[in-house]
Amino acid sequence: MAKCVVSQEDTLDLDVPVSRVTLSLRRCWEVCKNAVSELCRSKTAILGALMLLVLLGLCLLTPYIARYDPIKQNYREMLQTPSAKHYFGTDRYGRDIWSRILWGGRRLLTISVLAVLVGILVGIPMGTLSGYYGKWIDAFTMRVVDAWLAFPGIVIYLMLATLVREWKLAEFWNDLALIFALGINQFPRLARLVRGTVLAEKEKEYVEACRAIGDSNLYISLREILPNCLSPVIVQATVSLGSTLLVIAALSFLGLGSPPPTPDWGSDLNLARDHMESRPHIAIFPGLAISYAVLAFNLFGDGLRDILDPRLTDR
Amino acid sequence: MVMYTINRILYLIPVLFILTVAAFSLVHCLPGDVIDVLAGQEGVVDPAVRQALEHEYGLNKPLYTQYFIWLNHVLHGDFGTSQVTRRPIALEIFKRIPATLYLAIVGTIISLLIAVPLGTMAAVKRNTAVDYAAQLLSLVGISIPEFWFALLCVLFFSLYLGWLPSSEYYSPFDHLGLSIQHIILPAAALGIRQAAITTRLTRSTMLDEVQKEYVDTARSLGLPEWKVIYQYTLRNAMIPTLTISGLQLAQLLGGTVVIETIFAWPGVGRTLFEAIISRDFPVIQAGVLILGVAVVVINLLVDLMYRVLNPRVRLA
Repeated sequence: MAKCVVSQEDTLDLDVPVSRVTLSLRRCWEVCKNAVSELCRSKTAILGALMLLVLLGLCLLTPYIARYDPIKQNYREMLQTPSAKHYFGTDRYGRDIWSRILWGGRRLLTISVLAVLVGILVGIPMGTLSGYYGKWIDAFTMRVVDAWLAFPGIVIYLMLATLVREWKLAEFWNDLALIFALGINQFPRLARLVRGTVLAEKEKEYVEACRAIGDSNLYISLREILPNCLSPVIVQATVSLGSTLLVIAALSFLGLGSPPPTPDWGSDLNLARDHMESRPHIAIFPGLAISYAVLAFNLFGDGLRDILDPRLTDR
Repeated sequence: MVMYTINRILYLIPVLFILTVAAFSLVHCLPGDVIDVLAGQEGVVDPAVRQALEHEYGLNKPLYTQYFIWLNHVLHGDFGTSQVTRRPIALEIFKRIPATLYLAIVGTIISLLIAVPLGTMAAVKRNTAVDYAAQLLSLVGISIPEFWFALLCVLFFSLYLGWLPSSEYYSPFDHLGLSIQHIILPAAALGIRQAAITTRLTRSTMLDEVQKEYVDTARSLGLPEWKVIYQYTLRNAMIPTLTISGLQLAQLLGGTVVIETIFAWPGVGRTLFEAIISRDFPVIQAGVLILGVAVVVINLLVDLMYRVLNPRVRLA
């Protein structure tokens, strides 16, 4: 993990008054610099990071580079092949595929990030407390995790998606339910991972030292131990982002995602099936977009794993 | 081993309980009247129909009693009647199980046929172009959505080349040739992800295994290299690989929903999908329950098998 190395001069430089803000800014800069130099140790990670940067850039710039309304239908320009006017062509309603992919990506990425965040917010405290306190808390939490892991995820998605559709929720609530369903499926894996690392970490001497100076258990577990256990979580979260994206795409491919006019990579692929023979490009671009995004997350996750866990390099 | 098996089966009880409660509550969480949902039409006014349904499902009794009545029906193989076909659901679903099993098994076989040689080659020729190509392929395989891969397969092999059919199902017991021809595309699309995962796994277990001392001993005894690799090392490396592919079989069942829909494969996954589209809730309930139980049981069997192969494993 990148270590925060702040040189002594930063704090001891008494001639020039340094405000807290500049100090923390400088510290941030150091951390970033360290992180980048660590990242450069793995080619996979660099490639993944670059692909992610492109993805992020495209999502942020969507309102400026998407040239058409992703929802407005235009029957004069139905099923066009890629051209200078429509980079990726148009679909059967004459909507620009390039614009739809951009807007869809924005939505899809937001949902996956939020879903993984939900998993992290539930899983990490659960894993930490269960690893640190042990006894009945541990026994109880791990039973819940075991049961949850045995529970097939696809069943949860299908049931929740069916329910959400029947209740005819507005788009926002629809997405929220999806985030919840996906996130709740992430937590057991994360909780188990954190618990394992916490178990190893709590035997170390610095924990003993903290106890000796009288820090509370809650403080030790959350402020001292947890930060040292984060590296596997970061790797797992990155890889989960990719798999979550795949699940969302599959659900919307089945027509269980957001209702039709919303731009969505999965449902656009499904629409393309009727015109595959004559206009294969409609089916190719959304699929490429999904694969690109998932590949970016997977490459980055793999690279991070190499950096954070040197024992696994060459595996 | 006996204790382990008993313990492991005891763990199933809460999971199955939650699974049944979830499937049961599906119908009750829907908007509107339960009787409307069960009868498949809105605003059932005929009092005789209402009363008959109420009596059958015990709808005038408390919710937990309803759950046990439903569970009793389910345990006797009665999942109710489909609202679309008006036939018993058990009949509809059970006759489709073989098609799904066939697809899942052939998918797993295809994935192993790709993954084991590729992973072994990558490990043996470590850090060469072969290794990098195998690693890249498996990474791409993990990242491609299976339904897109399926569409590309149909586009290329059925529409452009016209080599393989893109839909229809023939039972392997009736027309073996036709059946094999028809299963290649769906099974390949289903197995591609598994193949990618298994390639990585085979590679890393092989790398572990090659470094062990018995390999050096075998080499120093003058055994030919292929014999060392294929007869000794690979055999040991296969233990975790096979276990994981068993576990993946459970995941594969989830994938059948999408793949069966694309290839018009008459399996459980497609039944479930059609039920969701046509809002046939008793069928959704049954499909979800059967899929869930299948996954849980497969996981149990794999755990037990792993324990037999590797006795050091303890119950977590």
